[in-house]
Amino acid sequence: MTPLDLLVAVVQQVVDGVFLGLFYAIVASGLALIFGVMDIINFAHGDLIMISAYFTWLLSMNLNLDPLLSMLLTLPILFLIGLGIQKGLINPVLGKEPLIQIAVTVGLGFVLQNIALGYFKAEPKGYPAPLFSGGFNLGPFVIYESKLVSAMVSLAVLILLSRFLAKTKLGLAMRAVTDDRASAMLMGINVGRVYLLTFAIGMVLIGVAAGLWMEMGQVTPYLGTSFSLVSWVAVALAGLGSIQGLIISAIIIGVAQSLGSLISPSIQMAVVYLIFFFILWFKPRGLFARR
Amino acid sequence: MASKRSRIPLIIAIIVVIAVIAAGLGYYYYTSKLSPTPTITPTTPKIEKVVIGIVQPLTGNYAIFGQEAVNAAKLVVDIINNELGGVRSLGGAKLDIVVEDAGTSPESARLAAEKLISQYHVPIIYGAYISRFTLAMGTVTEQNKVILVTDALVDDLSRQGWMYFFRVAPQASSHGVSAVDFVLDEAKAHNVTIRTAVIINEDSIFGTTVSNGAHLELAKKGVEVLAHISYPYDITDMSPIVDQIKRLNPDIIIAIPYFSDGVLFAKTAKAAGLNPVFIAGAGACGFTDPDSIKAAGDAVLYYTNTYSYNPAKPTDWNQKLVKEFERRYGKMPTEAAGEMFYSLFTIYEALEKAGQMFPDDPLNPDHLRQAFLSLDLSESNSIAAQLYPTGRIKFAPNGDNLYAGTAVLQVQLINGTLTPVVVWPQPQAGVQAIFPRPGT
Repeated sequence: MTPLDLLVAVVQQVVDGVFLGLFYAIVASGLALIFGVMDIINFAHGDLIMISAYFTWLLSMNLNLDPLLSMLLTLPILFLIGLGIQKGLINPVLGKEPLIQIAVTVGLGFVLQNIALGYFKAEPKGYPAPLFSGGFNLGPFVIYESKLVSAMVSLAVLILLSRFLAKTKLGLAMRAVTDDRASAMLMGINVGRVYLLTFAIGMVLIGVAAGLWMEMGQVTPYLGTSFSLVSWVAVALAGLGSIQGLIISAIIIGVAQSLGSLISPSIQMAVVYLIFFFILWFKPRGLFARR
Repeated sequence: MASKRSRIPLIIAIIVVIAVIAAGLGYYYYTSKLSPTPTITPTTPKIEKVVIGIVQPLTGNYAIFGQEAVNAAKLVVDIINNELGGVRSLGGAKLDIVVEDAGTSPESARLAAEKLISQYHVPIIYGAYISRFTLAMGTVTEQNKVILVTDALVDDLSRQGWMYFFRVAPQASSHGVSAVDFVLDEAKAHNVTIRTAVIINEDSIFGTTVSNGAHLELAKKGVEVLAHISYPYDITDMSPIVDQIKRLNPDIIIAIPYFSDGVLFAKTAKAAGLNPVFIAGAGACGFTDPDSIKAAGDAVLYYTNTYSYNPAKPTDWNQKLVKEFERRYGKMPTEAAGEMFYSLFTIYEALEKAGQMFPDDPLNPDHLRQAFLSLDLSESNSIAAQLYPTGRIKFAPNGDNLYAGTAVLQVQLINGTLTPVVVWPQPQAGVQAIFPRPGT
């Protein structure tokens, strides 16, 4: 490989890594929001993305709709499902021992996996003709349409989320509860309602991640494991309290993974975790933690 | 008074003894009046049923295979019991199957085998599809002298020195060899020169073994391997690999995927405009199975893959099983089902042989082993051989089939529908391989 070829390869991976990182940011955003506001360790996060991906696939195949367009239908329904899960499953364990919260969310994950395995079987399910399945050349670089669109949509949603948290009453209430729940209650904020809506909005973010994934890939009952790991790494790397921090941390993960695959695809995640450990060694609370 | 009471127990005892003697005499008198009973010669107890243990991954990432295999097993057992009358040499003994989940680790597969042996006392176990699960299971079956018939393909399994091990399907490395031989055969037939190749494989022991087989065959045939890339099967981004292959610009790509990664590779390759002379799959996973075609759409058009089973083989029994499987389960049988078809029928034929060779103790493990080794099955005398790609089944001392072979399927557009068709070594009727890929 000539030096020029190597430079092209590295730049290509950096570009792909940024796109991948933005996608990872939306994948992790639901977890960050729920963990940040509600202080609950949701180990079912990846499996909720998985089941949302199946939901997207079902609608896409039955209505012959591109997964991106299916989101117009899936997101309102997932919002309602989020309300139901929070009320029925999460609310009873809020404030309880972390072990109980972990047991409930891990159990939810297993239930979702087995429902998916039982109903959809183990074969991968994908949308065969997505709108953005091609690519184009920009000089020596290849730009994949699905990754570009996914990155743009992720960025747009995350900017919206940031504005929502900064400018709206509910967003301010969420941030107040995140910073100090007791004071927020004293100030008249209905914390129970904030938790309910936080989880529902978290499910909407999960639905966006699932829809974007189905534009690029396919779903199996075990997809959730990969996304859970990446989400936790992104949230831990960013620390709590900053959407911008989450975006930057996710981009670090995406670029590390892409550059790692230049060495060998088998060790790409090892490179990610090495960088993760290295950063946490120096900044244990994360790069951008507010609390 | 006291003396009268003390005599009553004695009187009762005398009455009981007289009653017993009278009953005995009466029985003797009665039976002596019947026809003379024939001399009882020793006979072997009648075998009502033979229970076959099946260990397959029914949960976890490999459940795709296990579920298909179990469906195929139920179909075969129904046919053997209801149409063929069971195992005739064992007095029409029915076959029964007990299925255990191999789970998600070698340890759970091992425990599944232990349960089948200790609880159900099975003489034969079939499984466990995944080679490292089978390796763990094999230590248990060998120790307990239980015949293990496997659908796992990694070559090393038949190099363990096991006595009670049999494998009808071809070894993993031969899948890699077949993929290369198919491509080079087609290249020769179409006057296309193949000089360079890239191999990509999921990095499990199976993917690695298949890819090593392909690598060696390419080297033997003088094709330069520009890169041999391994990746984890649950990879979520194939673009770095596709970008690397584009830069290398090989004539052909030999790909050994699992399932999801196969769909992801095909879609990413299409998006990147990667179009070498040919892309050949190996190892029976991905690209050409009905579910991968549904998920990837025309991204997998013209892709091929090697299989241990030929669903289009035009023998009567093969067509019968394919039709019945499609009727029951709504899809064409692929690798796992195909292996179960011919392996379970081979077990059936071995039981028939054992019953003929050793009528007194047919299920003795050493007798069963000898029965397996004595089989020499061909299409003219065996259902199992009719189902097998090469039409011949005969076991070497290490348990491998001496006549193992694969088939190659290609995704083609037939009447507007993406359809997997058999193109090698004998193309199915009305079909030929499309080579090279259009647009190259």
